[in-house]
Amino acid sequence: MSSERGQGTALLDRLLENDRLQFLLSPGLGILWVVMFLALPMTVIVVISFAIPGDFGNTIYEFTLQNYQRFVDGNVYHTIVLRSLWYGVVTTAIALPFGYTVGYFLGRSKTDWKWILLGLVVLQYWVPFIVRTYAWIIVLSNNGLLNGLLQYLGVIQEPVTILYTTASMVLGLVVSLLPFIILPVYVSVSTIDEDQIHAAKTLGATDFRAFREITLPQSMPGIVAGVLFVFIISAGAFLAPTLLGDSGKRMIAPVIESVFIIDFNWPYAAALSVIYFVVIAGILYLFNRRIDLEEALETGAGR
Amino acid sequence: MSLESESVDTDAERGYFGVTVPTRYKWLAIKAVTVLVYFLMLLPLVVVVVNSFNPSRLGNFPPSSLSLHWYEEFLSNELMHRALTNSIIVGLGAALVAGLVGTVTAMGFVRKKFRFKNGLVIVMLSPLLVPPIIVGVAATLFFVQVGVPRTIWWIIVMHALLGLPYAFLIIRSQLYLFDESLEEAAKTMGAGPITTFREVTLPIIAPSIVTAMVIVFVISFGEFTATQFWVQRSTTTVPVVIFSMLRTSISPEVDVLATIMLVVTITIPLLIFGIRRKFFGR
Repeated sequence: MSSERGQGTALLDRLLENDRLQFLLSPGLGILWVVMFLALPMTVIVVISFAIPGDFGNTIYEFTLQNYQRFVDGNVYHTIVLRSLWYGVVTTAIALPFGYTVGYFLGRSKTDWKWILLGLVVLQYWVPFIVRTYAWIIVLSNNGLLNGLLQYLGVIQEPVTILYTTASMVLGLVVSLLPFIILPVYVSVSTIDEDQIHAAKTLGATDFRAFREITLPQSMPGIVAGVLFVFIISAGAFLAPTLLGDSGKRMIAPVIESVFIIDFNWPYAAALSVIYFVVIAGILYLFNRRIDLEEALETGAGR
Repeated sequence: MSLESESVDTDAERGYFGVTVPTRYKWLAIKAVTVLVYFLMLLPLVVVVVNSFNPSRLGNFPPSSLSLHWYEEFLSNELMHRALTNSIIVGLGAALVAGLVGTVTAMGFVRKKFRFKNGLVIVMLSPLLVPPIIVGVAATLFFVQVGVPRTIWWIIVMHALLGLPYAFLIIRSQLYLFDESLEEAAKTMGAGPITTFREVTLPIIAPSIVTAMVIVFVISFGEFTATQFWVQRSTTTVPVVIFSMLRTSISPEVDVLATIMLVVTITIPLLIFGIRRKFFGR
């Protein structure tokens, strides 16, 4: 402990002994940050979603339901929202078994390579989405690596179209989101007491039964966290559909972007954002009734 | 790599649907999937780095020869320099802000009792739940309404928001492990909150604050989807430049920029975590 305290510190100390002031700073500061820069902006788009889109990107502040009417009337936008959710489900359904297998491997294996293999997964987190996503263009395009290889091997004569399809987009999403399943599953699996598994097998359980009754239930936290993150990120993905996807099968995020930037229709972009947010919030609400959302977020974000 | 853990009993077992699969084959299948997944995760990164040395404008892969041509182009491209500088400034700024805000907030959540705590935790984590496209649109409309000029501060403040849940969680989990009697001792000896924090609490939670700041830097450095709405020409960031280059023409110059991103985003954490280990031993 330093014997001399600056006068400034002494004054601050006395101020901070006041409980209310202290509360405003800690935890108040973080809550204030989220309210200011997330809750208020969300409120603003709710308000603007009821305004009239004028010409040349103007917004006329008169109450109207026309933006929501437009969503309800046209089939196009329902399809886009439903398609986004569906691609989110597909991505999650593919990523889960692959990610689980790798997380299980890392959790159970005794290989000396384990730390390097784990490090490589963490490294994936660090590499920006845009780099990991567009790299698939070089691999999958008509004059890309895969077509070149297949032609060289004589499997095909002419390049086949792989890029700009739903398949290439889902591939890009799955690969970039796998770490969100691998790491939490690894954490869950590696904390399972191996004696339990041995005991089950000694008592005559098959591999599968031991897995189903011991390993699987205990790795549920990892699975839940992974599924939550992969679904939310893939359904709302912007880069993968834009760079790798089929331009005829649009997803919600690129649509909101183009309504905002190209059509310059801010009220409708706001309305679409609000609608999509309500859908996601509804799904999260249902999710929260079955599982602990805080725990899932903590597990999934724990890098 | 020999794997003993699952193959303790190598006897074939009673399988399902009348099929019997020995344990070691199952483990072999797990290994095969693992190898495939690592291949798919690493392939894109290798391809980008290799292609950055491709002299051809079309960037056909694999390159017929290797050259530093596009790196030379990068050295003379002022827009890219500006983007890289901006990305680093924004990343550092967001890391500092989120580190500071995350620390005081986590302290409050761990040490104090207050109403609606569980709900407020979800509020703190909510930036993880709102899709970035919506954060991007909402913040733009908000700042335009309020009349905040579109400067680099706008991006720093918003990136701090996006990184805040991570900073909060990382620092909070360290605080849970903290022995509060140390703080009590300091208070008993007459230290006020600031002195106690600086002399007792901060040195102990410092490693987690460093981790939090590195993670926020990494998130900020790679953020694109929301950021695309917030930049203008003078405040553009590397991911935004890469994206606009992809829209026009894909030359290996993109790969150079991506490789530089890759190097920054990997070496900075490794470097700082290395230093942290040296200083704090963990």
